Amino acid sequence: MNRTTRVKGTARAKRTASVKGTAGGRRARRLDPLSLTGLGCLLLLVLVALGSLVHAGGDPDAIVGPRLQPPGPGWWLGTDNLGRSMLPRVMEGVGTTLLLSSAAVLVTAALSAGFGILAGYRGGYLNELVMRVVELLYSFPAIVLAILVAAVAGPGQLAAVASIVLVTIPLMIRLVRAAAVAVAERDYVTAAAISGAGLPRILGRHILPNVAGTIAVQGTYALSVGISVEGGLSFLGFGVQPPQASLGVLIRQGGTYMMAAPWLIIGPGVVLVLAILSINVLGDGLRDRFEPRETRALI
Amino acid sequence: MILDLTDVTVSFTTGPPLRRTRLDAMRGVSLSVAEGETLGLVGESGSGKTTTSRVALGLQRPTSGTVRFDGRPFPRRRKDLAGRMQAVLQHPHWSLNPRMRIGQSVAEPLAVLGKDAGSLVPEALEQVGLEPGFADRYPHELSGGQRQRVSIARALITRPSFIVFDEAVSALDVSVQVQILNLLKDLQAEYGFAALFISHDLGAVRYVADRIAVMRGGEVVETADAVTFYSAPEHPYSRQLLESL
Repeated sequence: MNRTTRVKGTARAKRTASVKGTAGGRRARRLDPLSLTGLGCLLLLVLVALGSLVHAGGDPDAIVGPRLQPPGPGWWLGTDNLGRSMLPRVMEGVGTTLLLSSAAVLVTAALSAGFGILAGYRGGYLNELVMRVVELLYSFPAIVLAILVAAVAGPGQLAAVASIVLVTIPLMIRLVRAAAVAVAERDYVTAAAISGAGLPRILGRHILPNVAGTIAVQGTYALSVGISVEGGLSFLGFGVQPPQASLGVLIRQGGTYMMAAPWLIIGPGVVLVLAILSINVLGDGLRDRFEPRETRALI
Repeated sequence: MILDLTDVTVSFTTGPPLRRTRLDAMRGVSLSVAEGETLGLVGESGSGKTTTSRVALGLQRPTSGTVRFDGRPFPRRRKDLAGRMQAVLQHPHWSLNPRMRIGQSVAEPLAVLGKDAGSLVPEALEQVGLEPGFADRYPHELSGGQRQRVSIARALITRPSFIVFDEAVSALDVSVQVQILNLLKDLQAEYGFAALFISHDLGAVRYVADRIAVMRGGEVVETADAVTFYSAPEHPYSRQLLESL
């Protein structure tokens, strides 16, 4: 999203807040249409994934017809090399990918909130320790880190989740910490400390609520990174193991027959792009809503 | 004496290793504030006023010298001081947590003490000239002057014996400043708290202070009664400050 749009969004948000002046003024800001579209797409994908639980598109493991058939009645996204219909497999794949990525992002968000806020507020040795570990993780290319995890933990869903956590956590901790440092200097935090408020109260009541926007925004970006890491890892064979479908698994299997049956990668590929795009667009919208002027300069 | 600073020095080191330079934010500062008295602390930016307030509030440990609050050094645990000392700080925009309702913010010092606010919050708001209905609002719905009133209500709610006002009115319009300063005097007459009133604005200080201390370059260059100070300042720097008024 370009800069002018953001500025516009902020000005509009300010106006709404001051005109309404209600208790929910902060909440009165709406997401812009583009982010709402992103949110809609994402919800649609979640719905599709839920549909696969009741085999709405058919049994993902059932052989329904000849091998490598182009899309047609009975197999709307074609059939794969074993004659399974791609439609239910893509539906299952979306579910697996979204589930693993969101689980990982929740872990990332929780850990980042804890360590980032503590490091940002306390500073000192704890800060140094956390930041050095974060830099260490940051210095590994994402996919190398993921392969390392898979090598240690063994390929599978756990490796996929752990890899996503390790890939997304450095950026999230840094940003949460930066936001916490900024909040920690504000007068209300000082006033609370002077009143004798203890660490749990200061972190929980004052700092966490004021960096929650950053966490939410970074969470959406981490989700899209997580989806691509899962895709990459499973594509390399270190993540989700067949016959369970994930978008990465499907793209890997489809890649073998790319020339003969391009629909094998077009289906899952398009869905993967759609998922990442809609999440990024949603993230931009959340960012405009949550941090109109406060933390933007830090990112 | 409620607050006693004796020969306090605070040094900061800055710069890269091997080329560290030492900066004295306070050098041999001695100040005292008696019960119920307002000490005005004036000086230009960078003169060490804010460091002095941080030392007085126990947020900054002095490099040397002693600080006594109510006759005793600061306790190790901040909680032991809870409610006896409060502050109204500089920036009305950031003096209140934007995610907390005004009522919660005002009640917080009591919550820290584990006391129930009960009817005290509406009372505290009325004391600073705000309607009790403000308790349900959020800070962004208030003007700068209203926010500073809320900060004062929050500071007063535990009936502290000492309050630090660090540039508490500097960011406000002149007319609002006068209102807040009047409020301050009224409240002090009623509750008798001692105050350290820090400002670069000699006019505002004159309005509230019983005694004045002037800081420059980390040192206190003159301490005098307000009346004496404004009529016959001793130190050349004080004269210079007064002439610019």
